Amino acid sequence: MTDIIVKRPSPYRMAVDIGGTFTDGITEDVARGRIWVGKCLTTPEDPGIGVSDVIDQMLLQMKAAASAISPASIRDIVHATTLVTNTLIERRGARVAMILTAGTRDLLEIAREVRYDLYDLDLELPAPLVALDDCFELQGRIDADGTEFQTIDGNELNELLGSISTGDYEAVAVCLLHAYANDRHEKMVEAALIQHLPRMRVSLSSRVAPLPREYERASTVAANAYVQPLVADYLNVLRGELGRKGIESNLSVMLSSGGFTSAEAAARSPIQLLESGPAAGVLSANNAGGSIGEAQLLAFDMGGTTAKACVIADGEPGIIHSFETARVKRFKKGSGLPILVPSIDLIEIGAGGGSIAAISALGTLAIGPRSAGSVPGPVCYGRGGVEPTVTDADLILGYLDPLRFLGGEMTLDLAATQDALARLGKGLGLSAMQTAWGICSIVNENMANAARVHIAERGFDPRRFALVATGGAGPVHAVDVARRLRISRILCPMAAGAGSCIGLLAAAPRAERNLPRRAPLSNVEWNDVDQQLDLLRRDAAAELSSAGADTANVEWSLVLDMRYEGQGHNVDVTLSYETIDAGLADTIRALFDQRYCHLFGGLVPDGRLEIVNWRLIGTSPSMLKQFTWADGRAEQMTDRPRGRRDIFLPLENNVGMVDIYDRYSLPAGTRLRGPLILEERESTFVVPFPCDLLVHPNLTIDVRLDEEVVR
Amino acid sequence: MTECINPVTLEIAWARLVSIVDEAAATFIRASFSTLAREANDFAVVLTDAAGRSIAQSSMSVPSFIGTLPASVRHFIERFSIAGMSDGDVFITNDPWKGTGHVHDVTVATPIFMAGKVIAFAAITSHMPDIGGRLRSAGVREIYEEGLQIPLLKLVEAGRTNEAVVAFIETNVRVPDATMGDIWSEVAACRKVAERLVEVLGEVGLDLDDISAEVRTRSEQAMRGAIAALPDGRHAYSLLHDGFEDRVRIEATVAIDGDRIHIDYTGTSEQLARAVNVVPIYTFAYTAYAVKALLSPDIPNNEGSFQPVTTWAPEGTILNPRFPAPGGARNMIGHLLPAVVMGALAPILPDRIWAPGASNSSVTIAGEHNRQRYAGMFFFNGGQGASSRHAGMPTLSFPSNLANTPIEVIEQTVPVRILHRRRRPGSGGAGFRRGGDGLDVAFEFIGDAPATCSVILTRWRIPPPGLNGGEAGAIARLSVNGQTRDPAEPLLLHRDDRVTIETAGGGGLGVQEDVQ
Repeated sequence: MTDIIVKRPSPYRMAVDIGGTFTDGITEDVARGRIWVGKCLTTPEDPGIGVSDVIDQMLLQMKAAASAISPASIRDIVHATTLVTNTLIERRGARVAMILTAGTRDLLEIAREVRYDLYDLDLELPAPLVALDDCFELQGRIDADGTEFQTIDGNELNELLGSISTGDYEAVAVCLLHAYANDRHEKMVEAALIQHLPRMRVSLSSRVAPLPREYERASTVAANAYVQPLVADYLNVLRGELGRKGIESNLSVMLSSGGFTSAEAAARSPIQLLESGPAAGVLSANNAGGSIGEAQLLAFDMGGTTAKACVIADGEPGIIHSFETARVKRFKKGSGLPILVPSIDLIEIGAGGGSIAAISALGTLAIGPRSAGSVPGPVCYGRGGVEPTVTDADLILGYLDPLRFLGGEMTLDLAATQDALARLGKGLGLSAMQTAWGICSIVNENMANAARVHIAERGFDPRRFALVATGGAGPVHAVDVARRLRISRILCPMAAGAGSCIGLLAAAPRAERNLPRRAPLSNVEWNDVDQQLDLLRRDAAAELSSAGADTANVEWSLVLDMRYEGQGHNVDVTLSYETIDAGLADTIRALFDQRYCHLFGGLVPDGRLEIVNWRLIGTSPSMLKQFTWADGRAEQMTDRPRGRRDIFLPLENNVGMVDIYDRYSLPAGTRLRGPLILEERESTFVVPFPCDLLVHPNLTIDVRLDEEVVR
Repeated sequence: MTECINPVTLEIAWARLVSIVDEAAATFIRASFSTLAREANDFAVVLTDAAGRSIAQSSMSVPSFIGTLPASVRHFIERFSIAGMSDGDVFITNDPWKGTGHVHDVTVATPIFMAGKVIAFAAITSHMPDIGGRLRSAGVREIYEEGLQIPLLKLVEAGRTNEAVVAFIETNVRVPDATMGDIWSEVAACRKVAERLVEVLGEVGLDLDDISAEVRTRSEQAMRGAIAALPDGRHAYSLLHDGFEDRVRIEATVAIDGDRIHIDYTGTSEQLARAVNVVPIYTFAYTAYAVKALLSPDIPNNEGSFQPVTTWAPEGTILNPRFPAPGGARNMIGHLLPAVVMGALAPILPDRIWAPGASNSSVTIAGEHNRQRYAGMFFFNGGQGASSRHAGMPTLSFPSNLANTPIEVIEQTVPVRILHRRRRPGSGGAGFRRGGDGLDVAFEFIGDAPATCSVILTRWRIPPPGLNGGEAGAIARLSVNGQTRDPAEPLLLHRDDRVTIETAGGGGLGVQEDVQ
C-alpha cells in the first residue's frame, strides 16, 4: 500500500470509545504521530462522566507536554459508544408509539412465526420494543410496485395523532407497507407529526432501513425510535460538556458500517451506531495490517465474555445489511431482534475467557455457552468461582503468569485452579494438564470453526489471510487459532487495550446511499438511475463534508445488489461510479458472472439477471496511522528475556521451558525465534510454536509460523 | 494425546462435521429460487456415513427431514449399490415412500469418495416451488394427480448431466426455471459437503466410520439413559382430526420398557383416498421428534439417538398407507403425532408436555399475470397448546418450523394484496394456562387472469382439544367473499375475490378456576 496524501484538517485529533468495561481515549498529534492515552472505568449510569474524565486526563497530559497546547487546538473528536446496544439489551429506551398500515398492527408480535430452537419446549421469544397497545393503524396503501392504491385520509391521520398526543410518548416510529419502494405516505405522516406534535421525535422506515420485509424493517425503525431520545440527549450533553472544556471541534460518531457521521446525523438515525465500538476495533486491526502492507486480514478479538471475528479483504472489512441484536439466548441465531442497517460483518465466534468447561450429555468435554463472567469469574480469580473456565486452563498451561496478571495487580490462585481442573478431568479420564489443553483446544477449534465457515461463506481461503489479535484474551489464543485455520502470519498491534480508538482515528469518512430500483438487467431505465444517483451523490457528499472529509478526494463506488430473477438473496457486484448508461450492462453482467461463480461454483443456465438495489458509497482515502507513545514509557529498551517458564507446547504434547519477554521493552526491529511469551499489562501474547518474530517500528508484533506448523 | 478418539478429539471432530452441513445449508439458501427454502426454511441437509446412517444435519432442519433423509440415502444405496456408484454421481427422487412422504419435496444425494472409495453421503431435500399436477391439496384422491413422480434416478452420472431427467422435470412443472434452479442449488449444497468433508478428514486425520460409530454410540447411550429414567408402563391417548366424510382418529399406545420406548398406532383410521396419508418414515420422524424434545433436547441428532425409539402402524392405515395413496398434505396428520405422544405421556411428564395446538396451514397459488407464469406457496401458523408453566405460544410453527413469508415478499411474488394479517384474539382455549391464539389473514386477488388456489387448513372441523380440564381452541375457518368454504376443494380465484383464513387456537391446560 502506498502512502496517501490527505488533507489534515487539524493538528490534534481526539478519539473516545465507551466500551463495556473501560472508556478509552487517544489524542493524536497529527504532525508528529505522537499519542496520549486516557482510560477509566465506564460509568453506565451516565456514560458522559467517563468520557469527560478521559478527556480531562488527556488534556492534562498534553498541557504537561507543551503548555502551548490548548483545548481549542483540538478540532476533531471521533466517538464510539455502546449506548445503543446497552439501551436495547437492558430495555431502558423511550416510550414509543408505532404507526403501521391498517391490518398489520400485530406485526412485531407475530414476527416470523418460527422457533430458533427446535427442541426447546420452554422457548422464550424476544419481546417487541413497542407493546401492542402502543401500535396504531392507518388506512392507505402502497402496492408492491410502489404505486399508490389507496390514499391516506387526512382526517383519520389527524385523529390518530390526537390519540398519540395524549399517550405520553417520546418518539414515533412509522412503518408502512412497501415504503421502501415509495416513501410518500410515510413522508405525509412525518409532515403531519411535525405540524401537530413538533416536539415528538419521528423515525421513518423508508429513511432508517429502506428495504423489503416488513417485520425486519419495522423492528429496525422501532429500535431507532426506542434509542433516539437517549442518544440525542446524550450527544447534546456531550457537546455542551466539550464546549465547557473549551473544545470547539466537530463531533463525529462512528457507525456500525465503519464510516462516521456528524453528531446531528447520528441523533436522527441512532440505530446506525449499534455496533460502533466493535466496528472501530475492526478498523484498528485493519490499520495495523495496512501499516505493514498486509491487506488480507482476519480481525480476531477476544475478551472476557465474547470473541469476535471479521474478514477484511483487500483492506476492506465486509459489510452486511442485516444484523441481530439483544438475543434472548446467546449464540442462538433468531433469538434476537433483527436490525437492517449496514454493519461491519463481525460475527461472534465464542464466549471469551470466562466460558465454563463441563462434561456434556454425551460424556465429551464441552465449553460454554455458560460463562462465569466477572462475578464469580474464573476459579483462579479466587472470587468464589468453582467451575473451570478457559482462563483457568490458560493458567495451568503456563500461558498466564499467576503473579503478573494485570501487571501484578491481581494474584491468581494456582492451587485452586489445579484442583478444579483435576476434578473435571477425573470424569473424563484425563489429567489436569490434559484437561486444560483439551479446554484450550476445543475453545480454539470452535472459534476457528466459526471463523472458517464465516470466511468460506464469503468465498475466501483462510490460508491467504493474516490474523490480527486484539482484546485481553485475543493474544493468548490467537496463534493456536491461526494454526488451526492454517494461517501462518499473526499480528499483534500495540495498545490493544485502547485499540478501538486507533480505529477511530484511522477511519475514513464513509457515506452510503440506497437506490432501490428493481429491474431486469436488460430493462434498466438508465437515465432515471443516472439522475437519481447524482442526487444521492450530492446528498452523501454533503454528509462527508460535514464529517470533515475533503470532498475532492472522495472515491465513489457502486455496489449493485443482484440476483437471478426468482432468487431471494442478492449477490453484491462492485464497480466504480462513472457514466451510467446502457453500455454498462455488459460490464455488469461480466462482473456478476465472476462473482456468482466464485461464490457458488457455477452459473445458473439460462438465468435472467436482475438488479434489485443500487448502493452508492463515498469514501475518503483511509489514513494509515503510525503512532508512538508521547509519554515516554518503555525507556529501557532491551531484546533480552526477563525470565523463563514452563508452558504447554502443543506440538510436543508436553510442557517445555520458553523465554518470557516484556513486550514494550523490545526495540523496533527486534527479531526472535518462538516458542516464547511476550507479556504486557493488559494481555499476554502466547506463541507456543516454532516461528520467526519481528517487532515493527509501530510496535506491532509480526509472527510467521514455520511451514511445518501449518503444514 | 492418545491415538484412539478421546472426548476432546471427538468433540472437535463432531463440531467440524456439524459446521460442514450448516455451511452447505447456507449455500443452498443463498442460491435457492423459492421462498419455501429462503423464507420458510422448508429443507434440510444431512451427512451420513457410507451405510446411510446419519452423522450430522443442518441445525435449523425441519424435524421430519432429519428422520427421512438418511432413509432416502439407504434407498439409493439399495438401488444403485456402492459398487455401482462413481465419483460425480448425483441421485434424485421424490418417491414419497423413499423420500419425505410427498412428491413436492425433491431429495438429492451424492456419494462422497476418498481414495476411490465411498466414505459418506451428502443428502438434501427441499420443498419445490412446483412439481406439476394439481396444486397441493388435501382433496386429491391419487398420487398421479399430485404431479411428477421422480423414481430413484441418477440426475448426474459420473459428472455428466442426464439431460433426459432434466427435460422430463422441466416439461412437467409450472415454473421450470425455479424448480430446476432449486434442484441445481441442492446439487451445489451436496458438493459443498463433499468438498469440506474431504478437507476436514485430511486435517483431523480420523476415519469417518470411527467418528460415526463413536458419536452414534454415545448418543444412543444418552437417549437410553433418558428413557430408563422414566417408570416402565403403557400410556394410551387418542386424538381426533377433521377428516373428510368421517373424522380421522389417531390411536396410540406408548410403551416404556427399560431403556426402550415403543409407540404403537394400532386402532388408527384406515388410509384415505385423500392426500393426508403418512408414509411410515414420516410417522417415525415426528414420533421420534416428540420423544427427543421431551426427554433429551440437548443430545445431538443422529442415528444413535433414535435407536431406542420404535414405531409401528398396521399396513393400510393412514400412518402406513399402500401405494398409490396420495400424501401431498401428509403434514396435516403427521404433525398431530407429537401432540399424541405428549398426550399419552402427560401423566408421567406433567411439566414437560404441551396441550395440542394447531399445526401449520398453507396457501398455494398459481396462474398467469402480465403474461408471466407464477406459483407461490406460503405458510400460516396457528396457536400452540399451553403447558403447565406458560400459556400456549400464539401463531408459531410447531412441531414443524416453517416461517411465514413477509407480506411484502408475498405481494412481490404473486398478484394478491394482503388486507390484514393479525392475531385472532381469544381463539386460544381457556384453562389454568390459556392456549395460544391463532392467526387471521385476508387477501384480495388482483391478478388479471383467474388463478387456481389451494388452501391446506388444519383443525377446521375439530379444534385442538385442551388437556387436564383445559378447553379447546377455536376452530380454523376458510372463507371466500364471506362464504365459508371446504378447504379440501381447490378454489378458482377471480380478480377482487377476497379470501380469509383463520387458523385454529391452541388447547388450554388445566381448569381455568385454578387461576383464582
